[in-house]
Amino acid sequence: MADLQDISNEKIRQEIEEFVENPDEIERNIETFARVRPLMQEIAAALIEGDDGTVDALTKQALEDKIDALEIMDDGLIAAMGVVGIKFRDNYIFVPEVLACARAMKAGMAYIEPILSASGVEPLATVIMGMVKGDLHDIGKNLCIMMLRGSGFNVVDLGVDTSDDEFIDAVEEHSAPILGMSALLTTTMPNMGKTIEAFIDADMRDDVKIMVGGAPVTQEFADDMGADAYGKDALECVAVAKGFLSVQA
Amino acid sequence: MVKEQIKPMTSRERVLAGLRREPVDRTPVCNPTSVATVELMDLVDAHFPEANRNPEMMARLAATGYTEIGFDSIMPVFSIIQESSALGCKMQWEQKDNWPTVRMREPIWRDVEDVVIPNDFLTHPDTACVIECIKILKKEYGDDVAIIGKTMGPWTLGYHCFGVEPFLLMSLDDPGKTKLALERMKEATIQFGMAQIEAGADALTVPDHATGDLVSGEYYDRYLKDMHAEFVDLLPVPLILHICGRTVDRMNSIAETGIAAFHFDSKNKPQESMDIIEDRISLVGNINNPETLYAKGPDAVRDEVCANLDAGVHMVGPECAIPLQTAIENLTAIPNAVKEWHSRRESH
Repeated sequence: MADLQDISNEKIRQEIEEFVENPDEIERNIETFARVRPLMQEIAAALIEGDDGTVDALTKQALEDKIDALEIMDDGLIAAMGVVGIKFRDNYIFVPEVLACARAMKAGMAYIEPILSASGVEPLATVIMGMVKGDLHDIGKNLCIMMLRGSGFNVVDLGVDTSDDEFIDAVEEHSAPILGMSALLTTTMPNMGKTIEAFIDADMRDDVKIMVGGAPVTQEFADDMGADAYGKDALECVAVAKGFLSVQA
Repeated sequence: MVKEQIKPMTSRERVLAGLRREPVDRTPVCNPTSVATVELMDLVDAHFPEANRNPEMMARLAATGYTEIGFDSIMPVFSIIQESSALGCKMQWEQKDNWPTVRMREPIWRDVEDVVIPNDFLTHPDTACVIECIKILKKEYGDDVAIIGKTMGPWTLGYHCFGVEPFLLMSLDDPGKTKLALERMKEATIQFGMAQIEAGADALTVPDHATGDLVSGEYYDRYLKDMHAEFVDLLPVPLILHICGRTVDRMNSIAETGIAAFHFDSKNKPQESMDIIEDRISLVGNINNPETLYAKGPDAVRDEVCANLDAGVHMVGPECAIPLQTAIENLTAIPNAVKEWHSRRESH
């Protein structure tokens, strides 16, 4: 079993020591970062800092050093987003800081994505995401999308104010096994139930797992609406999506 | 503060006393955000979206908070978008069953230099509508009921005009620029607030969504605390600050601004919140909207009302703008529960 001191990067060690409290998560993060090469740790440290310029430069450097794109994504970018997600969930950081981390992730992925696409690396699954009809408040949904993409999912973002037909068409078109809906307003929350009913009417409810979330949404509400799962934040959203596929979160 | 032997008060007297933490004949019931529901719209034939843009309809719908629900205040601004529309934001006015919204994905400002309050800000139809509506309400109900206006704080205007993500990233990347933008946007808050006071508003709600669901308590201190204290000096009526979500980590700072009252969310426990504010300001709230008022019945509403009264919360009401599909019986349960609670106390 690896030890914290096996991680060469001081910033990563500090982050785990200071912000990760759950024993399983401590162990998982130590195991992850202790086995990855120092440059991946540097990329991760820069991403956790929200330093997009450094992530950009280091990702470019890693590719020039012939490090595999998948390794950079998994061991640098995604590993870092795991720590970011924990800090956000536990209120050590807030949305502005997460947005800066997402920007840094994007800077790295700008190099990685074209390589992965060209090499035919398969995503875990396709997830359709959208705000329900009448709702334009998409920041939570965008954070979920960022975390899902960072965790290996292909995400089709339908944006805001999404109609039942748009959800149904997207699931059909992409043969997506997972649909995520978000609502911020109490006025638009019931539209989750209407969309789920539309899937039943279209005889497609058994084809797709549906997860819901958003500030006013609760587990109880999700159950009432007939959703398969509820996620209270972006980290849970990823866990739920992986749970649908029986992949370890 | 409820004292025995207080002579019966009008709703207006009760709310104003509650805002000053003075003795009241019973705890005031008010919602400083919005009481509009679809049922109430049908009742007085004043529907969204028109009721957000037509002063007579706005007044008719707002008055139901007093005439039908039995609250002690009337709040005519049902949404948070009137100023943003006047500032030039792109709007989605929606239908009867949804609030109007700003299209924040199409921001009108990118940099602090773009922040300009237009000369016609107060004569724009969507701000003028509120001002005219308050005049109507003041004339019709002003002697008996507290008329509460609403002027959005600069943080919320920042979300609307810059877009949520660009504004929050700016706040992290360039605090100086963010403060300058807030300074410029606060002029809209002050202008619109003063216009409503001149029209007859007894108090003003200042929603400024620096919520714990988005930003840290340190952000409140850094960006908003002094500005909110400044509003207290510049707007000469009691101010009710509204911030949704978790706010216990910034409630002490809010109490230090000198603001009259804080409208708090059900994510904060009444007793814990009361302990933090230590009788420096009033608290208004905090009946849960989505789980209780929207989804449960009068018994559950009553339980939450009593929890607030037991904690000594100064004014009781929903935590935020009421879900538009809320049943009237759940809303009338609030004043009924307050009256029952006081009757029980008196009989002991």
